[in-house]
Parts: sequence; structure tokens; C-alpha cells
Amino acid sequence: MHKVHVEQDLRGKNDAIAEENRKHLREHGIVSLNVMSAPGAGKTSLLCRTIPLLRGKYSIGVIEGDIQTSTDAEKIATLGVPVHQIETGGVCHLDAAMVHSALHSIDLDSIDLLFIENVGNLVCPAEFDLGEDSRVMLLSVSEGDDKPKKYPLMFREARLLLLNKIDLLPHVSFDVQKARREAREINPKLDIIEISCAVGTGFERWIAWIDSFVSEAGHR
Amino acid sequence: MHEASLMSNLLAIVERAAADEGGGPVRVVHMKIGELAGVNADALRFAFDCMSPGTAAERGTLEIEKVPLAILCRVCGATAHPDDLVFVCASCGSSDIEIMSGREMQVDYILMNDEAPAPDGSGPKARRGEV
Repeated sequence: MHKVHVEQDLRGKNDAIAEENRKHLREHGIVSLNVMSAPGAGKTSLLCRTIPLLRGKYSIGVIEGDIQTSTDAEKIATLGVPVHQIETGGVCHLDAAMVHSALHSIDLDSIDLLFIENVGNLVCPAEFDLGEDSRVMLLSVSEGDDKPKKYPLMFREARLLLLNKIDLLPHVSFDVQKARREAREINPKLDIIEISCAVGTGFERWIAWIDSFVSEAGHR
Repeated sequence: MHEASLMSNLLAIVERAAADEGGGPVRVVHMKIGELAGVNADALRFAFDCMSPGTAAERGTLEIEKVPLAILCRVCGATAHPDDLVFVCASCGSSDIEIMSGREMQVDYILMNDEAPAPDGSGPKARRGEV
């Protein structure tokens, strides 16, 4: 028998398409954020509360990723922004090829800020570059403060952690300081903002973060 | 959870590598999976057993080498294998850390039979009259 060195990454094909997406988005002057979390942590609620606050400032587009159903896209559509639903048909994450197809169904000249809502999952989405500028993740306090150590890659890859459902703190045993400390051990550069999509806590800081990110991403 | 789609990528990589060598059965596929990669080795083996029939890796063996997390401090150059997932340099306290290994998800090498198929397309078995 003889040995044939291969040394090829299984994500190589995905990463190549992701680079094309990134180039394509930048050519159109679009800043993009990949929004990730466990199911039910509040990704869609975040977008529903955020988009009206950004009206007039940015032209927003949304790509919704779900295993099944288009209910999230229908909610976003009521806000009057272009939205495209990707139904992954059982796949546990979005990949670059899915986003590539979705980009063809959005008028890229009409938007300058794109939110990509990933499939709810704390594991797999972290592995797949979509071509986004950066990653925002949500952790809701009802999920437990042990999640950073249990799902390190997601926390390592995010630029911003939104600690959501902060209004529920009196009712759950979630140690905010522990979650913050352990998330920063994994990712010392992680920005962390405490929010509540239900009552609007922390949204001034979150909107300010978006403004600062968009102006920094200034490749446009 | 996406081991089947990863396996499909793996088999495509293996088929191409085997074809570049003139084709023929692949006996061993040796892959590296990093500690942070979020991939389950048992699920990968299961996917390999289900999906390799009909490919160059049919009847081959999947070997999985687990790669521990290794980090490098960009400030003082110290390296470490943090068991506790603390990405802060234990020597100088810097958080400017690079992950050297632990994110791998790759086909490292394959092992193939030495005997290449004949140019006319008949394999070693055919030439030996074993068809």
C-alpha cells in the first residue's frame, strides 16, 4: 500500500463559496451579520424589534434560515423589508451555497445591511462561514449560564453576545457574571450586551453597536 | 449533526485524490478531527459505512485522529493545551491568542494499493483473472 497525502478540509468547498458571497456583498456595499443562537433564544424577536428602530438609517434585507416553515419570514415581511426564507429541509445549519442562492432572490442594490438569521442550533452553524462580515449570537437567560463552556466554538466565533430575556432574571437561576466571565475566557474580545426583546431593555446599546460596526466595516 | 453532508464532501475529496493516483480501491481514509470541531466520530463512521459503497473507498476503513486544542500567544509566544477552554495566555495574561490546532476537519491521507490499474481500464483483479 502507498500513502497519498491529501490534507484537504471538508469545509473547503463551503469556504470557497463563502468567499464569493463576501466579495459579492462587498461589491454591493452591504454589511452583513450572521445571527446565531439555540432555538427559541429570540433571533426573530430580535430582528422584529430591531428593524423598526433602524428604519430611515439603513435599507435592511433579511435571510431567514429554518429547517421547516416560513413563519419567521412572514413575521419579518410585515415590517416591510425584503426577506428571503431558506428552508434547509432537515439540515441543521445554513451553509454558504444556500446563502449564495438566497442572494440571487434579493435586490442587492436596494439594501445596505443584511441580517442572516441562522438555523437555531448552538453547534453546527459555528462551523460554516456564510460570507458574512461578522457574527452575533444570542444566549437567553432561560438556557442556563453553563452554555459558553458547553458550546465553546459558537462563543469563540462571535463578535457580539446578546444576553437576551434579561427581564426573566428574577425567575431563573442564571448567574450573569459567570456567563460573562466564561464567555470572555473563551473569547476575550467578545462584546456583551444585556437585552430583552420582550420589553426593549438594552436596545440603545445594541443599536449603537450596529452603528459602530457598520461604520467600522466601512469597506463601502 | 451534519455528519452525512460532511461525509459526502469527504468521499468527493477521496474520489478525486484516488482518481489522481490512477484510480483503484482506497484501503484507508485517515482524517483529522479537532477537539473544537463539533463533529461526532461515531456518527462519521456510521455515515462512512452507509455512504462509501459504490465509491473508491468501498470496503475501506475510516481512521479518525483526534487533534487536541493547541493555542499560541501572539504576544509572548507561549503555547498551551488548555483543558478548561480558557483562551488567555497563562504566561503573560494576553488575550491575543491564535488557535494552532483543534479546529481540523480534514482528510489527511489515504492508503491505496500499490498496483495501479492498467491503461486499458482493466484493474489488477481483471489482469489476474479474478473477475
